[in-house]
Amino acid sequence: MSGAELNIPALWPFVVYSGVVIFMAIGMLGTSYILGERHRGGAMGQPYECGIVPTGSARLRHSAKFYLIAVFFVIFDLEAVFVFAWAVAVRESGWAGYAEMLIFIGILLSALVYLWRIGALEWGSRHTPRRGAEDSL
Amino acid sequence: MITVPIEHVILMAAILFSLGLTGVLARRNVLFILLSIEVMLNAAGIAFVAAGARWAQADGQIMFLFILTMAAAEVAVGLAIILQYYRHTGTLDVDAMGGGRR
Amino acid sequence: MVRGDFFILLPLIITGGAAVAVMLLISFRRSHLATATVTLVALGAAVISVICVAAAAPRQASALLILDSYALFYMGLIFAAGCAVTMIAYDYFERQTDHREEFYLLLLLATLGSAVLVSSNHFASLFLGLEILSVSLYALIAFHRERLPSVEAGVRYLILAAASSAFLLFGMALIYLERGDMTFFRSTQIASGVPAWSPLLLAGTALLIVGIGFKLALVPFHMWTPDIYEGAPPPATAFIASVSKGAAFVLLLRYVTLFGLHSGSVQSAAIAAIAVASMFFGNLLALREEKVRRVLAYSSIAHMGYLLVAILAAGPLAAVAAGYYLVAYFTSIIGSFGIISVREGREGGGDAVSDYRGYAWRHPWLGGAFTAMLLSLAGIPITAGFVGKFYLLAAGLESSLRLLVVVLVASSAIGLFYYLRIIITLYGPPEAERQGAAITPAVSLAGGVALTALTFLLIWFGAYPAPLLRLIQAMVGG
Repeated sequence: MSGAELNIPALWPFVVYSGVVIFMAIGMLGTSYILGERHRGGAMGQPYECGIVPTGSARLRHSAKFYLIAVFFVIFDLEAVFVFAWAVAVRESGWAGYAEMLIFIGILLSALVYLWRIGALEWGSRHTPRRGAEDSL
Repeated sequence: MITVPIEHVILMAAILFSLGLTGVLARRNVLFILLSIEVMLNAAGIAFVAAGARWAQADGQIMFLFILTMAAAEVAVGLAIILQYYRHTGTLDVDAMGGGRR
Repeated sequence: MVRGDFFILLPLIITGGAAVAVMLLISFRRSHLATATVTLVALGAAVISVICVAAAAPRQASALLILDSYALFYMGLIFAAGCAVTMIAYDYFERQTDHREEFYLLLLLATLGSAVLVSSNHFASLFLGLEILSVSLYALIAFHRERLPSVEAGVRYLILAAASSAFLLFGMALIYLERGDMTFFRSTQIASGVPAWSPLLLAGTALLIVGIGFKLALVPFHMWTPDIYEGAPPPATAFIASVSKGAAFVLLLRYVTLFGLHSGSVQSAAIAAIAVASMFFGNLLALREEKVRRVLAYSSIAHMGYLLVAILAAGPLAAVAAGYYLVAYFTSIIGSFGIISVREGREGGGDAVSDYRGYAWRHPWLGGAFTAMLLSLAGIPITAGFVGKFYLLAAGLESSLRLLVVVLVASSAIGLFYYLRIIITLYGPPEAERQGAAITPAVSLAGGVALTALTFLLIWFGAYPAPLLRLIQAMVGG
């Protein structure tokens, strides 16, 4: 902990920033508490205080389609990480790296073709060409 | 720059790992067990990044990328299986499985 | 990447390419026969490519993979086992209609993962191989999504395998932190500068052993194994019991051989305790099981315990013994689950031992083959299992592991009971109402070929072990 004093200059912007953030948050909440109008009744206690009365519960069941799309997003999003890693080192890795990236993207593309053909990408239509991924979810 | 001692990072990773393990052992809900496993995996990831920083190599961070990818693949397949389990049983409780926990 | 690297990696490239090809094939033409044929041809080509490539071994392909004769031998074994499982799966899924083509895709991926695992020379390739294997296995196990036991088995395996991966990763991270290098080889050389066994290394290795122990279903980590074996589709069970466990074992053997277990150290004591517990509990718990698949699950736990003796014995003889035992174990366990799969695919019916009453009278050939497989698992002479166990004992005695050898013999004797119980039931008097069921053909061509080949190999390796032994000595013993 002997290095702590030395590092204080590096820390002070962070301290000031934290102070400003806390002050702003308290300030905003406090001002609206003091100045704000209060009335009860009607739909004011409801989540949408503009007056729209919510219907039903927030815990409705979503279609598994949403899940499927989310999973595709996560998977393909993570594949992008590797493309970025390659892009950073594109000069060092040279043509061999380029070829490897082509193979990588080729495999991803064939996976996409597979998803498309089994009907996993169809949105909304109940009927799928083959019993495939949608059925499994 | 402030440098964090490597022991602290490893200690934090170990604590995270133990927390995750506790979750795996104590939780009954499959989803929470899966979440706890993610905590364990990320603890291992932190340890890798710290180790990479110690030797000034990129290997630790590359391993972290692999861990992320694997966790995503695992969650994708795992959630599909868990969804099927829910469809069959209407519960996410592992203790409800035939024969219970052995 | 040099051209030589591509050549030596041919087996892996063929398997990986085949997985993509099968995926595209499924997208454009769903045909069970075509998918199975492509898979079989690809795995067969991989076996042949292993033989072709063997002349160029050993060669280090990038920092990640080492293709030495040790890796190539087990790769060949894994691909051959993949072929057998494909044929059994074709027989099993012939009667089913729904989304069965994906099974072969997942099977190819799992085989690829195992092959990467046995040739890995770096923590990264170890991890990648293991995960390709495990993630495919989740789906393979839960493949019957309309059956609750299968899905439950999938959930169980998911939790178990994911948690064990976390242990493994944390162990690897600790070892990397201490050694500063993730390859298997250079770590040993660097070790001169670093203290041989620091606390961090010890903790890392312990976590690594826990992770691998889960994969091998050794005794403190064996819970749920019987449930998984019971719930998964039989071809998938055949794959987990053989290839998945075998690959993890081969990796453990390589790792331990490279780093060495100091005899008398904490680690070798821990592994010895695990081995003794696995042999005893595996065999004892199997005694009270009433279902054939659960019996075989406990028996596989015991078999992994036997194999640990080879790891502790260490040395050329132990490596040969482990190689022979693995070949024998692969043949018998794939054959056993193959017959269970054939029976379930056709007759359905329960899995209890009593359901097999009179099976050998209805289907003499299948019953005979099953008898041979079980005798081999029990280690009865003129089957491959006997020769394997004999070499394990020899290796154990050579390294004077007397306690372990005694336990091995004693627990094998316990094991005889439950194997013989199944065999006696097979030849028991058939139930009256079941006699009409024998009209359907017993097995399809693919399944028949696979089972005949397995039985033939089993007896050949048992009666005339010299050729296989020479091969193993040349590939593994050197």
